[in-house]
Amino acid sequence: MTHGARSSRTISAEGISRVEGEGSLRVRVQDGRVVDVALDIFEPPRYFEALLVGRHFTEAPDITARICGICPVAYQMSACLAMEDACGVVVDERIEALRRLLYCGEWIQSHALHIYLLHAPDFLGCADAVELADLDPIGVTRGLDIKRTGNLVMQTVGGRAVHPVNVRVGGFYRSPELDSIRALAEPLRRARDAALETVEWVAGFEFPDVTSEYRFVALDQSDRYAIDGGRPSLDGHTLSAAQFAEIAVEEHVERSTALHAKLDGRDRYLTGPLARFALNASRLPEVARDAAAAAGLYAPCVNPFRSIVVRAVELVFACDEALRLVERYEPPVQPAIEVVARAATGTATTEAPRGLLLHQYDIDDDGIIRRARIMPPTSQNQLSIEDDLRRVVENGLSLDDEELQWRCEQAVRNHDPCISCAAHFLDLTVETS
Amino acid sequence: MIDTRTAKVVVAGFGSEYRHDDGVGTLVAERAVAQVSTSHFVGSLSDPLDLLGEWNGADLVIVVDAIHSGAPVGTLQTIEIDVENLSCTALDAESGAGESSTHGLGLVAVLRLARAINQAPRRLVIIGIEGERFDLGEGLSASVEAAVPEAVARVVEFIKEAQSCA
Repeated sequence: MTHGARSSRTISAEGISRVEGEGSLRVRVQDGRVVDVALDIFEPPRYFEALLVGRHFTEAPDITARICGICPVAYQMSACLAMEDACGVVVDERIEALRRLLYCGEWIQSHALHIYLLHAPDFLGCADAVELADLDPIGVTRGLDIKRTGNLVMQTVGGRAVHPVNVRVGGFYRSPELDSIRALAEPLRRARDAALETVEWVAGFEFPDVTSEYRFVALDQSDRYAIDGGRPSLDGHTLSAAQFAEIAVEEHVERSTALHAKLDGRDRYLTGPLARFALNASRLPEVARDAAAAAGLYAPCVNPFRSIVVRAVELVFACDEALRLVERYEPPVQPAIEVVARAATGTATTEAPRGLLLHQYDIDDDGIIRRARIMPPTSQNQLSIEDDLRRVVENGLSLDDEELQWRCEQAVRNHDPCISCAAHFLDLTVETS
Repeated sequence: MIDTRTAKVVVAGFGSEYRHDDGVGTLVAERAVAQVSTSHFVGSLSDPLDLLGEWNGADLVIVVDAIHSGAPVGTLQTIEIDVENLSCTALDAESGAGESSTHGLGLVAVLRLARAINQAPRRLVIIGIEGERFDLGEGLSASVEAAVPEAVARVVEFIKEAQSCA
């Protein structure tokens, strides 16, 4: 919705669609300068942390995954790893490989969905994915085929395509049969080819000329592009998950029901595809590095609108990595290792498709959860998204109301925020005087 | 020639069991599929987009979800969407079913998208159960719990009818 006059302009959009959740965006401009940007979030705060207190530690992966329906594997993995950290156990390599395969399934599913159905319509002048499907049915079908391959991986490893039910603290309830995993190879090869086509497709989009300054945080793992392991990395050094949990301080902002995370209670930072690519591009497999180079994408990428290209490159990686894991799959000797509870604090970070997800739990000797802390990617990225918006509005003041609103919504979607995790729709107000 | 195949029926349960009555959709869908093993359960869903791919080639899709319409708690509503002639029905105006929802695309928009790429099911039926509370926590309200058997029976009836006609 737009209203206003030359001296005082207000742009408001009630409900920015194609963002997971609910919230509103308000931008205030004075004398050609953006003086305030506020991404507001409605929805009760994350009471589900309280819901976990008093529950058994083995219940955390399923409860947290069921509350966040958008990236359940990320929630399951961070919860499992945090509990295993508390109990002092590490799973064996075969279980770890199976977990990484499941996580690749979620990356494939999530990235394909975001690129084709939520983000690409912005660049092609389509109101939504329905219009895009009318304009380019072959393209949308390609995206859905990739997504379906992700679902197939999740179904095969996790027992269900949507809400995996095979994950437990210590590993899995049952190990998938060798044949069922090997049968994933052919669909994954096709998905990798389709992902390469996706990189070419999105690289041809027109991107607004906006650059941002980011302090990137991503997991670092010496021998691979980190997803489900490694240490948080920032400013050229790494920390343990527990150390990161100490410096990433969340604060409640009055206008929002979500918590905003800052480093040392002061500095904004960014997690997610741009951060991962900036810090770990050299660890991508050759096929993904070549695709990035062919698309003219080099690390670091600081134009947030090109995040769709980074996401496409990560899609190639996720398909390729899943294929590598499938070809080397050997069923775990035992589907899970025994995990005995002890009174301790456990912390873990993993790379959800949209960014870093931290879980931290205090449990007692009986394995009862006494405290839970969940820091989703969106609360960590929110201040950086607001900073992007400030730059987008300042660069776009010559645009008419409708175009500026469109670009602001697009800027929010650059980071694929899942506001339903962080707390829930957007309505946008730009005030100019 | 007589078609002897069994009709493909997908039963999709929406909602979270950790939001009280919101969990009834998944509960009903799971129980109904448990009674008719030739049907397929999908869930628990929070995003209609997750139906894409899952419902390809389906003769019938039954979506089961909690609803909040102001009717007495536990009331069942059955809505059949005209897949061939999608129009702006009352559903379009509803958050969660229309074009814009908390999860990008609503059910009707997802159906339109599926039609554009020839992946829409032949029939789509929504079974809604009026809920009372949707805040965080477990367990159904008494009136919703009482409506579960009838809701399950209604879903089973749709499945059997579709499969007897195939």
